[in-house]
Amino acid sequence: MTVEDSGHDEREREDSGHHEREQEPRPDHERQPQPRRFLRSRENRVIGGVCGGLGRYFTVDPIIFRIGAIALVLAGGAGLLLYLAALLLVPSDEGETAGQPALEGRNRGLVIAGVVVLLLVAWPFLVGGGLVVAGILVPLAILVATGVLVWWLVSGEGPAGEGKDVARRAALGIGVLILCGLIALGGAWAAAAGGGTVVAVLVIGAGIAIVAGAFLRPVRWLILPAVTLAISAGAVSAAGIDLDGGVGERDYRPASVSDLRDSYRLGMGQLTVDLRQVDLPAGDTPLTLDLGVGEARLIVPEDVCVATDAQIGIGEVRLFDRDNDGVDVDFLDQPDAAPETSRLLVDADVGVGALHVAHDFDELDYHGARFDNDPDDTLDVNNSACSKARARE
Amino acid sequence: MRASSPDLRSVVAGIAVLALGAVLLLDQTGVIELSFGILAPVACAATGAILLVNGLSRRE
Repeated sequence: MTVEDSGHDEREREDSGHHEREQEPRPDHERQPQPRRFLRSRENRVIGGVCGGLGRYFTVDPIIFRIGAIALVLAGGAGLLLYLAALLLVPSDEGETAGQPALEGRNRGLVIAGVVVLLLVAWPFLVGGGLVVAGILVPLAILVATGVLVWWLVSGEGPAGEGKDVARRAALGIGVLILCGLIALGGAWAAAAGGGTVVAVLVIGAGIAIVAGAFLRPVRWLILPAVTLAISAGAVSAAGIDLDGGVGERDYRPASVSDLRDSYRLGMGQLTVDLRQVDLPAGDTPLTLDLGVGEARLIVPEDVCVATDAQIGIGEVRLFDRDNDGVDVDFLDQPDAAPETSRLLVDADVGVGALHVAHDFDELDYHGARFDNDPDDTLDVNNSACSKARARE
Repeated sequence: MRASSPDLRSVVAGIAVLALGAVLLLDQTGVIELSFGILAPVACAATGAILLVNGLSRRE
């Protein structure tokens, strides 16, 4: 027998005696203190109890970790990744008792390896780089977080429990998001194609069914699709999007006044009206531009004064050297002109997109350079044919 | 025999959906001209009411 074998036998004898002694209750001072375990807190939680668990583990106020997490989220998104990692890997204290090991049923090595990998992934964000990685992982993390949040709102199952439960809820939430996206697309398309009344009636019918179901048999699953349908169709109506005019590129270059239409219309795409070959008569000439989604470009001769009344749902108006953008943009520019001058009265309606009015196509591109203080600022981008100062409301 | 009380969440959500549908129908019939300035508060109020009553019902 070797020395090692002899020692092994002695340890076995000691272990055997130890087991025998365990049959008797030990005094408190002999009990081994339970190791502190990092578990997500069920009681002290805002989202998943990660910061609450950290606060309990380090016996400090969890608000410190919450502030740190928010700061890391804003500083490159690392906080979001780390939080999701903790949400998936760290078990909740739900159903745990003091005597259970922290990672019972789990492979501690795998968990540690997962945390290390995630820290490596998060490292570029922590040091301020990783833009390429950020372009993939941050949207992915936001998608997962959104999925968890959506499922929380829909079912009431919050981000508690084991990692696989959280992952399942995230997947279900993403599924609900996709379904809502399809419903929103369908509602928006129907409203834009002239079926707004049908969508409104469908929404009202769903509302009646939900109220009636409250007294008979609740149909709560109908709430989210109905709200999604209503808001998407409402957004299309608010933006004034109308796809009746077709989809694609329309390029109109009338050669004379007789070729000039009163109105030009396009559902979605790029609408270009070039009036440089038209010799407009003195006085006012009305012109209507109606575009659902896209860019409307109006090119006018330099000797024509342009008076504009434009409504843009979401987007921008750029009229020579002036512009305005945002939501529900009402752009009114009604300058006066001398009696012998041609004045074009533009009435434009763009749902989502832009209205650009210029003297030539170069000017459209030149506009961006003008704000960059280009030293070659030689183009006349003003509505110079108008005789008086413009009034803007 | 006492009749069972209606599901409060469904009642509030149904009324909110009905309000949204009514706004859409009024816009389609030309009674109002829907803009984001109108839609945004209406949509926020409707979804807020649904979420609020949903959260309060779960606490009970």
